[in-house]
Amino acid sequence: MRKDLTIGIVGAGGDGVVVLGGIILKIAAGQGYYAFREQHTEAQIRGGGSAVRLCLKTESVLMPADELDILVCFNWEKYLVFIKELPIDERTIVFYDGLPPAELKLPARSFEVSFSQNKNIAALGFLAKVLSLPPKEAEKIIDEDIARGKKDLLEKSLAALKLGESLFDETKHPKIGLPILERQSPKIVLHGNEAAARGAIKAGCRFAASYPITPGTEATDYLKKELERIGGVYIQAEDEIASMGLVMGASSVGVKAIDVTSGPGLDLKTEMIGLGVTAEIPLVLINVQRGGPSTGIPAKTEQSDLNQAIYGGHGDAPRVVLAPYNLEGCYELTIEAFNIAERFQVPVILLSDQWLGQTLVAADDDFLKKEPVVVGRKKPNETEKNNYRRYLVTPDFVSPMANAGDEGFTYQTRGLSHNERGEPAQDHEASQLMHDKRWKKLLPLKEREDLVKIFGNQKSKVGIIVWGSTGQAILGALKASGLEDRVKVCIPELIYPLPTTALRKFLKPLKKLLVVELNYSGQFYRYLTSQVDLPKKRLVYQRAGGRPFGFKELIQKIEEALQ
Amino acid sequence: MSDYKTELKEVWCKGCGNYGILGVLARRVFPKLQIPNHQICIFSGIGCSPRITGYINTYGFNFLHGRAIAFAQGAKLAKPELTVLAIGGDGDFFSIGAGHLPHAVRRNINITCIMANNFVYALTKGQTSPTTPFSEMGEHDPRSFDENPPVDPILDMVAYSVSTKASFIAQGIATDPNHLSRLIEEGIKHRGFSFIGVLTACPTYRGELFNVIREKVTYLDEGKLVELPESSEEKPWIHDPSNIDLAFKLAKVPILERPYLGVFFRGKEKL
Repeated sequence: MRKDLTIGIVGAGGDGVVVLGGIILKIAAGQGYYAFREQHTEAQIRGGGSAVRLCLKTESVLMPADELDILVCFNWEKYLVFIKELPIDERTIVFYDGLPPAELKLPARSFEVSFSQNKNIAALGFLAKVLSLPPKEAEKIIDEDIARGKKDLLEKSLAALKLGESLFDETKHPKIGLPILERQSPKIVLHGNEAAARGAIKAGCRFAASYPITPGTEATDYLKKELERIGGVYIQAEDEIASMGLVMGASSVGVKAIDVTSGPGLDLKTEMIGLGVTAEIPLVLINVQRGGPSTGIPAKTEQSDLNQAIYGGHGDAPRVVLAPYNLEGCYELTIEAFNIAERFQVPVILLSDQWLGQTLVAADDDFLKKEPVVVGRKKPNETEKNNYRRYLVTPDFVSPMANAGDEGFTYQTRGLSHNERGEPAQDHEASQLMHDKRWKKLLPLKEREDLVKIFGNQKSKVGIIVWGSTGQAILGALKASGLEDRVKVCIPELIYPLPTTALRKFLKPLKKLLVVELNYSGQFYRYLTSQVDLPKKRLVYQRAGGRPFGFKELIQKIEEALQ
Repeated sequence: MSDYKTELKEVWCKGCGNYGILGVLARRVFPKLQIPNHQICIFSGIGCSPRITGYINTYGFNFLHGRAIAFAQGAKLAKPELTVLAIGGDGDFFSIGAGHLPHAVRRNINITCIMANNFVYALTKGQTSPTTPFSEMGEHDPRSFDENPPVDPILDMVAYSVSTKASFIAQGIATDPNHLSRLIEEGIKHRGFSFIGVLTACPTYRGELFNVIREKVTYLDEGKLVELPESSEEKPWIHDPSNIDLAFKLAKVPILERPYLGVFFRGKEKL
């Protein structure tokens, strides 16, 4: 029996495709399956196409197979929009809603099913039968997530569910059945955006501000809900600049604060980031990348904000850039982002992306149960009272930081070049001193080998370096293809400053290097060449986003590298 | 503490109105209200007046052009026990950071904004500001004023604040520290968003304009008749800052004809 199933669901916006995928994933998670719901949408509120690719598995899901096992199609026209995201072959079983247009020739294993009005719920009843999932669980989730106490809605939905079940019973459709599990521990259901938001709360963040932007809103929705519950503050700002200002105001008085955005927002916050660097204000900014430049492809993934995150802004303004490559990373690295921000008094940018952020995952919840180390600010001691120097140059270049409100430590600071007291100092010497301080305080980060993840066969002479969500895709492709013992893989989670010691260790024995990233110009590869020496034999695979990397696509590149 | 001045030397020109505002805050308002200096947090923008944070011994942040209000709201929300001020010039509040103002009013977060209005970009050497009167714009404005004359002055603090219904609206003048102190004290004590405009001299670039304005200033007294300019078609009424409709009537009077000083509007506070 196969270990995984890939199901595509496609329809027009408003058909409830995403909801349907989410409910099946939740039921499967409750039964102990690992699962993964990739979301594909056109940037329209209603009427645009909407599709999900749902992968159910007996082991941790890294990457779904390219071709679908099952396609549930509510609308063929919309399917054609996503045909490359949801490819089918002769093995795919298609359940087509209603009668297909006369000119359309459906694949051989196609069945016409009339899901009628409440189509996504009827399809849920139907699919639950196909997949042998317990119908009671579907009823429970409908009650909790859809009806939410509304009796008439519950009745209507349950009727639709029953209709779906009977549609299956009436016909002789094949039962596909999920692979059998060895161990049935229920899985937690969340996406990278929520995982990151949970990480922020865990790290002690009690203030969040943001301006609504796709595809980061799930993170702010969670922060708003959770901060209101625990007595923190969430505020929706009037614009991207203001949200960063609100966050810096909060951090100045000693409250850990976060902002969440996507590419266009990152652009607008550039000046604020420079101020955060020079005034040495701890803060965390999550950037859920989307297709760029400009408005680009708001609802689709890309890894093209690396340059902006590392270099964005005028002047020399060193900040910290982190990039998680999987769900756990979204959570754990957000905690790490706060720790670094507080420890080094610096803005930290976490580069997530639409794929990581919005793909709903059913996973083990071990990572959420760990008690992480939480770092606080270096505080001034009593002897500094009434003679406090905010930017005192210390051996580790990190100055004790008083929070506004602390008695005896008032200081006046500014975005102007300043001296140790924060007073304006426009001379070269002061500028050189403060640049030294801001750059050198970050140097210990270059030794953070724990933030460079290494996988595969350590003896292999062929290495792959990837960053962000491409890391997960590569690991998934290697695992599914059985090629994982033939290469070794390096995923730096700390992008800037780059932990060069660990990188050099990884690179040194290599005869050949493959770099893969989801942006047109190869931003990470170019950055890498500026940081470390690379093997002469290199293969760089880079392309614009708008579609996540596919399994076959990556395998082809890995095989090329192995030749 | 009787004096909240730091030892840092001011960068301002001789005769600059900002000295007046500094004296009012550091030597009158804060000592009078007896707020411990560590409980005060001042955020400022960029320009001449925002330098003030360096000269007042509180927590002071001279940050980005136009963004003082955003920082200030974040600080106040995060630590409500602090007294939080946002200080800037007409360029800060009405030009590069104008987008923040209506939202601060809408949220009504308890901060006090002080706009030093000198009708000019002085730090960059005399360019037109959003409050520069049409007559002062000089010969290089590309628009044809004859065909389509701009509103004069371009942006009026009073008209704007009243139209957005800020919770506390007042205007003072830097040359009358007694009066200005009272306004700022009340603004700080007012539970809600307070916006206080301060007419400020720029002797270097707008000296004559300030003299003209100073001669015309008219004080608003609660319970007394409002003095109207000759051009006004309104009948004088008794000044009542609790009445937003009367504040609208005041806002219609052109600032260059009759610059009013006092509390224009005082909204209801939550008890």
